[in-house]
Amino acid sequence: MRKNFWLLMIALLTAIVLAACSGGDDGSGNAEEEDNGDDGSQITAWAWDPNFNIAALNLAKEHYDNENFEMEIIENAQDDIVQRLNTGLSSGTMKGMPNIVLIEDQRAQSFLQSYPDAFYAIGDYFNPEDFADYKLAPTSFDGEQYGLPFDTGVTGFFYRTDYLEEAGYTHDDLVNITWSEYVEIAKDVKEQTGQAMLSLDPNDLGILRVMMQTTGTWYTSEDGTIQLEGNEPLQMALENYKELMENDLVKLSSDWSQYLAAFNSGDVASVPAGNWIGPSVEAEESQAGLWRVAPTPRLDMEGAANASNQGGSSFYVLNIDGKEAAAEFLGETFGSNVEFYQDLVQEVGAIGTFKPASEGDAYQFENEFFNGQQVVYDFSQWMEEIPQVDYGMNTYGIEDILSAEIQQYLDGKSLEDVLSDAQTQAENQFK
Amino acid sequence: MKKIKRIFIYLFLSTAAIVSIFPFLWMIVSMTNKSVDVTRGKLTPGMHFIENLNNLLETTQIGIALWNSFLIAVITTVLTLLIGSLAGYGFEIYRSKGKDMIFNILILSMMIPFAAIMIPLYRLFGRISADAPFIGLDTLAAAFLPTIITAFFIFFFRQNTKMFAKELVEAGRIDGLSELGIFFRIYLPTMKTTYAAAAIIAFMNSWNNYLWPLVVLQSPENQTIPLLISNLGAGYTPDYGVIMTAIVIATLPTALVFFLMQRHFVAGMMGSVKG
Amino acid sequence: MSQANSHYTKQQSTFVQRFKKNYIGWLFIILSVLGIGLFYFYPMVQAFLLSLQSGMGSNLEYVGLDNYIRLFNDPTFITALTNTILYLLIQVPVMIVLALIFSVLLNDPTLKFRGFFRTAIFLPAVTSLVAYAVIFKYLFGSDGLVNEFLLNFNLISEPLNWLTDPFLAKITIIIAITWRWTGYNMIFYLSALQNVDKSMYEAARIDGASPVQQFFFITIPLLKPIILFTSIVSTIGTLQLFDEVMNITSGGPGNATMTISMYIYNLSFEYTPDFGYAATVSYVILILVVILSFIQFKLGGDRE
Repeated sequence: MRKNFWLLMIALLTAIVLAACSGGDDGSGNAEEEDNGDDGSQITAWAWDPNFNIAALNLAKEHYDNENFEMEIIENAQDDIVQRLNTGLSSGTMKGMPNIVLIEDQRAQSFLQSYPDAFYAIGDYFNPEDFADYKLAPTSFDGEQYGLPFDTGVTGFFYRTDYLEEAGYTHDDLVNITWSEYVEIAKDVKEQTGQAMLSLDPNDLGILRVMMQTTGTWYTSEDGTIQLEGNEPLQMALENYKELMENDLVKLSSDWSQYLAAFNSGDVASVPAGNWIGPSVEAEESQAGLWRVAPTPRLDMEGAANASNQGGSSFYVLNIDGKEAAAEFLGETFGSNVEFYQDLVQEVGAIGTFKPASEGDAYQFENEFFNGQQVVYDFSQWMEEIPQVDYGMNTYGIEDILSAEIQQYLDGKSLEDVLSDAQTQAENQFK
Repeated sequence: MKKIKRIFIYLFLSTAAIVSIFPFLWMIVSMTNKSVDVTRGKLTPGMHFIENLNNLLETTQIGIALWNSFLIAVITTVLTLLIGSLAGYGFEIYRSKGKDMIFNILILSMMIPFAAIMIPLYRLFGRISADAPFIGLDTLAAAFLPTIITAFFIFFFRQNTKMFAKELVEAGRIDGLSELGIFFRIYLPTMKTTYAAAAIIAFMNSWNNYLWPLVVLQSPENQTIPLLISNLGAGYTPDYGVIMTAIVIATLPTALVFFLMQRHFVAGMMGSVKG
Repeated sequence: MSQANSHYTKQQSTFVQRFKKNYIGWLFIILSVLGIGLFYFYPMVQAFLLSLQSGMGSNLEYVGLDNYIRLFNDPTFITALTNTILYLLIQVPVMIVLALIFSVLLNDPTLKFRGFFRTAIFLPAVTSLVAYAVIFKYLFGSDGLVNEFLLNFNLISEPLNWLTDPFLAKITIIIAITWRWTGYNMIFYLSALQNVDKSMYEAARIDGASPVQQFFFITIPLLKPIILFTSIVSTIGTLQLFDEVMNITSGGPGNATMTISMYIYNLSFEYTPDFGYAATVSYVILILVVILSFIQFKLGGDRE
């Protein structure tokens, strides 16, 4: 008994000594950091995804000719960045905040409006007109340009040539179609091949947004008014959604890995999604040559475009020491360097929203996996047609309300009631 | 009759064990598979373990993260046990109306979700940073300080002290031990199963703690294991083989602590007779 | 035991001794009181002040009790609250009873492979949440192992949508929490059983009490403080349920598995941040737990 007791005491003491030591270490580490902060030469950047955004930042660093420029790129999950930024900015303690941060376009307005003094306007460091129009509304606030538009979420209709052929469709039959035609094709595919047309996660209403944006509409209008009731594109999108669900044309997935597995294992005939899904499609090498990409279907309405967007993000500069250096760096690389964008496509596979870049050689690349299609070039052309929408502040909040109502819609509640109930709830929530 | 009952008990426990252990085994199997196979739920081992491990070591600083998590967890466990058991013992042995009231108030602190106090707490550490940077934001100390004093362990030790034979305290006093001496020389050794249970829980809580270290530790050299795993899963095309490898490595220390501590749960072990 | 003890102290205690005892008692607890005050109560007071404000991010303004009134017209909050209470009512009792049964069975010295069983049943508590979420989603997917198993034994005629059906998703969450936390609770009982006087069981056996009788008339009363502890802690844990829901169903389908904590998280980080309203929702949990703990304490008969 006694021996055990002394062992415990020794463990205790060691730990306390350790604690003290580590405290000391951290102290010194911290002081160093503060010194760096004073110089203003060390820039930090936060982004997610090592193969995509982080790689893009590293590439930009290589392309930037400035000996005095030092940048530390820190990898964080997107949700983690959102939490850290919100905690840091709301506490008013700017210590530890980065100079450059990547923010998803659909979240940008909520940050810009929630923390108006926290961001630095960078419109003077590049020409916003060089970028795809649809990127500008989400990245600016109060007439000032805050974000440097980065990757596009331009969508495509990735499909399996073998399944579609078996159902009697050629590539030309799939170009510039409407979503209701897509549903009909899906029925044929199911009948002929037994495969589902697409995979969907019922928790993610992304497909509705893709459909809606082909008409330039959103859950909210430009002045922020919630428009669910009487929103014709949304109604049409929901009707298509229900039709797909009810006819068993969808393979349900409950998370990202299952979503990927659905097309990797050949269980679905198409993937209507942002271009960034491309590498995941290509990951299954045995399916090389079996895939192609058609333009996104549009909603059956006048003025609708066969182009839409899903995801995509932009870089922002925080209003702290080093902001000028950070903005200059962004402006000279992501903001204007055509060559950089060629490397970006070739080495990282990221398609930017910088319009002059699409004429470069790298964009003409013929992708063997997609039957020699110039996929990147096609995407960059569709990108310029994406109808502009203002994502506003409450996309995710409204969607939570809507998704509960959609459950009831699938169970038989009328579409009018669904939308008007969702409208009332959303108005209560987001006054 | 008795035999049938025995068989039934074994059957019941075996089912429970299989159900419990299955995901753990699956994790280990997945560690040897390619990402695509993991998402398909492949149940047989593959040949990709070395590849996954290499990818993990190349793309992350898992060594640093393990060391940080280990340091934080050990310090947290030792201090939590010491402070928590002192208080739990104090509240029960020196019971008074005033202390009972304070105890009830302390218990309240368990009840509010951490997300609610996180931002004020962050602000507090922001202010501490100005005067004492070595325990301020972005230090390992900041990651464990708010977690070492918790009502949970005070409550736990107090409830266990209720089952502690209090005659031993009087016996200690008669033997001329100081009050603190009674605690260290009588209470602490007698309650070692309680300490073992608390150590497992405290280590595990600290090892898996996510939200607070996430906001308070910003630099990569202060990264902990849960943050590292969260990063791994964050890309557009996460590699589940690598993630599973990281998860198995991350799970081993807590499992090890459990193995080391669980021998104290053996009824009538020689220790208490011999001791 | 305690009667004998108090009798003994009464004889012994003089005024000086009582004063000394009291003063030393405060020394034992002072560090905890200060620490919890600084790291919990000070932020809690701030959070309360926050709950009287509303607005986006750092643009907060005082709105008095508006946030509390807003709660009653917030269908998402009401869904989250009813879901959470449902989890609580079903899951906590099931888990506590299971954990008690396991600990008593595993405390039997004649049982073989005890170490293995103990470790196996505890393992879910240490398994990383990420792994456990991935595998639960896989097991309970529409063509996952669970459905395959049920189909093979003809228990169902077509695959069930465990994760995408509003009712079944709740069941899946309850199974997931029970799976993860039963072993954790078992630890508390196992450790407490070691501090129980073995002679009581021997005496009972000699008197001819069956194991079931021993369980109800010796084990349960002796473990009462720990059962009370675990049920309060589990209640709090379930009311603050977040990890499982976030990682397995993200609150869906259509908020069918949404919990209060998940809603707080969404209000703070997923939607445009409204920290004031988020703080209000957390105070609701506080109030609920206070009421429930009070009931549990009363039922547990802790007061002398």
